[in-house]
Amino acid sequence: MTTRRLLMVVSVMLWCVAAVAADWPEFLGPRGRGAATDQAIRTRWSEADGIAWKVDLPGRGASSPIVVGDLVVVTASSGASQDQLHIIAFDKATGRTVWHRRFWATGRTLAHPTSAVAAGTPASDGKRIVALYSSCDLFCVDLAGRLLWQRNLAVEHPRSGNDVGMGSSPRIVDGTAVVQIDCQGDAFALGVDAATGEDRWIVPREKRASWSSPLPLTTPEHGVCVLLQNPRGLNLHRVSDGKTVWSWKGECSAIPMTTESGSMLHVPADGIACVSPTEADAKPAWKSTKLSCGIASPLAWGDSVACINRAGVLCIGDTANGQLRGQIRLAGSFWASPILAGNVILAANKEGKTFLISTDGEPKIIAENELPGTFTATPAVADGNVYLRSETVLWKVAAP
Amino acid sequence: MRREAPRAAVWFGLALVAGMSTHATVSAADGPPQTVAEAVAIAAELAKATGTSGQAALAAQADRIAGISADWIVPCLAAFADATPAGGNWLRSGIERAVERAGDSLSADALTAVVAERKQPARVRTLAFGWLKDRDPSRAAGLLDGMLDDPALDLRREAVEKKLVAVTAAGETAQKATHRECLAAARDVDQIERIAAWLSEHGEKVNVAEVLGFVRNWRVSEEFDNAKGVGFAKAYPPEAALPARPETGQWKDVASADKHGAIDLNAAIATKKGVLAYAVADVVMPRSGPAEVRIGSPCAVAVWVNGKPAMAHEIYHASEAIDQYVATADFREGTNTVMVKCCQNEQTEPWAADWKFQLRVCDPLGAPLATQPAHEKGPE
Repeated sequence: MTTRRLLMVVSVMLWCVAAVAADWPEFLGPRGRGAATDQAIRTRWSEADGIAWKVDLPGRGASSPIVVGDLVVVTASSGASQDQLHIIAFDKATGRTVWHRRFWATGRTLAHPTSAVAAGTPASDGKRIVALYSSCDLFCVDLAGRLLWQRNLAVEHPRSGNDVGMGSSPRIVDGTAVVQIDCQGDAFALGVDAATGEDRWIVPREKRASWSSPLPLTTPEHGVCVLLQNPRGLNLHRVSDGKTVWSWKGECSAIPMTTESGSMLHVPADGIACVSPTEADAKPAWKSTKLSCGIASPLAWGDSVACINRAGVLCIGDTANGQLRGQIRLAGSFWASPILAGNVILAANKEGKTFLISTDGEPKIIAENELPGTFTATPAVADGNVYLRSETVLWKVAAP
Repeated sequence: MRREAPRAAVWFGLALVAGMSTHATVSAADGPPQTVAEAVAIAAELAKATGTSGQAALAAQADRIAGISADWIVPCLAAFADATPAGGNWLRSGIERAVERAGDSLSADALTAVVAERKQPARVRTLAFGWLKDRDPSRAAGLLDGMLDDPALDLRREAVEKKLVAVTAAGETAQKATHRECLAAARDVDQIERIAAWLSEHGEKVNVAEVLGFVRNWRVSEEFDNAKGVGFAKAYPPEAALPARPETGQWKDVASADKHGAIDLNAAIATKKGVLAYAVADVVMPRSGPAEVRIGSPCAVAVWVNGKPAMAHEIYHASEAIDQYVATADFREGTNTVMVKCCQNEQTEPWAADWKFQLRVCDPLGAPLATQPAHEKGPE
């Protein structure tokens, strides 16, 4: 291992230690990696068994729950025009509503039926929560539900937005809330001081729709950055000032987002391309069309990368060379991304079935657990509990 | 897209009725306001919020509003009348915390008065209705009985739903009469379609396109080049001399039989990519003045009314919806000319095949205003 790679690994490890182990504070969990390798979860559950609590939500959404301290936080939208925006905090132990904030959308609220105005998952740094909606409204509340600041980005940038539904999730990285507004109108990425809501930087983006989310990424050369993806490539921005410090031009998917492991990026494209985030426009180390992503983002851990294709087949490959290690046909369509809990992959299909798949050797289905509803939100895992959000219901699956 | 009713010129003046001044000095001190006048002044200040700096001060003021007593909540609602987009949310964040704290001590009588006063902004009445519903559901439901024509569309929607549910046990004649009444009152497309479907199932054919008021008879031009999107900003002959004269050049009459009034240009001209076309229609307005032009299209569109640009949206294949884009334009009493420029790009995905639009002219609540001349009646 080179010194550079060693530094990167140490940096990532320190970051992970800094995060509260039991929290699942953003889309795909800590740092957006989708992995909770230290948490064992229940194998089987159903409506009648293994459910700690369930609550009806006041509106619909495709955003994932996040877990911050004692709270499980969910966003939703309601009303005939879906212009009522909700942030609801539930007591993690009981499911009781601790607080519920409502706001009016100030931008457009059209969305395709498979998406929602509340499609982006909120993010927390442990002190505050930021929530971004398809209306391009960005709200920041503290853990008591007190509005700290708001940005009505469609008011500031009147041609921003996407009537399919903006699906990008915000991040809080090093005190900066980062949002990615990719659309055919006013497209931009914005870094906002998470404490005040004031601009730290704004960078224009290509006028092209995408549903990808920023990925926090720390490199030895550039420090703390965020990686932004659109169908034409990747850009790495320094989080302190937004400066583009690395770019890669190449075909990328518009929806599933890049993941990272072992200092390499695994980019969903026509298959997966493995790209180094240090060499500008470098040729991919490998590219595999057998590792194909549909809507769900790929999952990387250790020396493995997994993805679910449009046919509902979960494929696991080797991060060193992209070679297919195994595959297994699941069932249904997958909008939620697979995550890792302990050494088990959770893959929740839209029709309400969550598959648990072994990662030792050839992938095998350990269990299929079904709940009613339409599930497009990626599950969250905290303290061995699994939080599953259907369009209108939040379920807590109790730890074993 | 739902639109809120225009603000009444005379704003609900509970604060004034109570003999309070809205010009009270806002104390910089922490803690809840000491007088109702100070609370109203803080609410007014919050409602004017704009910009991105100094939000910590706004959060502190919202905290002060969150601390007001139950009796002061209704007077503070007056500030919503002139709220900016950000200000409305700042004020709401404080007021709703006060409402949560107040519990049942928030007077149902006061909330009922707010809901009943139609001169108030729709969003204030809708908020008050929700709070009343949380406290006294049956009293809130009772208010819906007179709200079929309410300018607050969320309340009108609930009134329609209540009336439809109430009549389910009645005989078919009464049910039909109620459905016809609700069809005339409803403004939400999904509700209109449900009611129309019920009437159709019970032998009363409803033309949804007519109920929604879509302009269905157009003269459509020949195609023009839009390769690489160059045509959107280019003034081809129909827009070079406005208003367009569809008597000259190659135009054809196209009538929509679609239930949402869509004009399908793939069918009218040819299934092509990288092209654009113009469509012109005469519409008759009952009175002069501003009205809303509402267009939906998966393609890039621009609209002119009587030769003046009304809107332009260079967005391709990012969804499609009735009333997707709305602009206010000036119309004259009698015949007006509406022209649409509809541009198709060169995307090859199956979902990017549509080249079409639908358009209607409405009042701010979504009631259709425009008709077409007798010789341009749409298909039945």
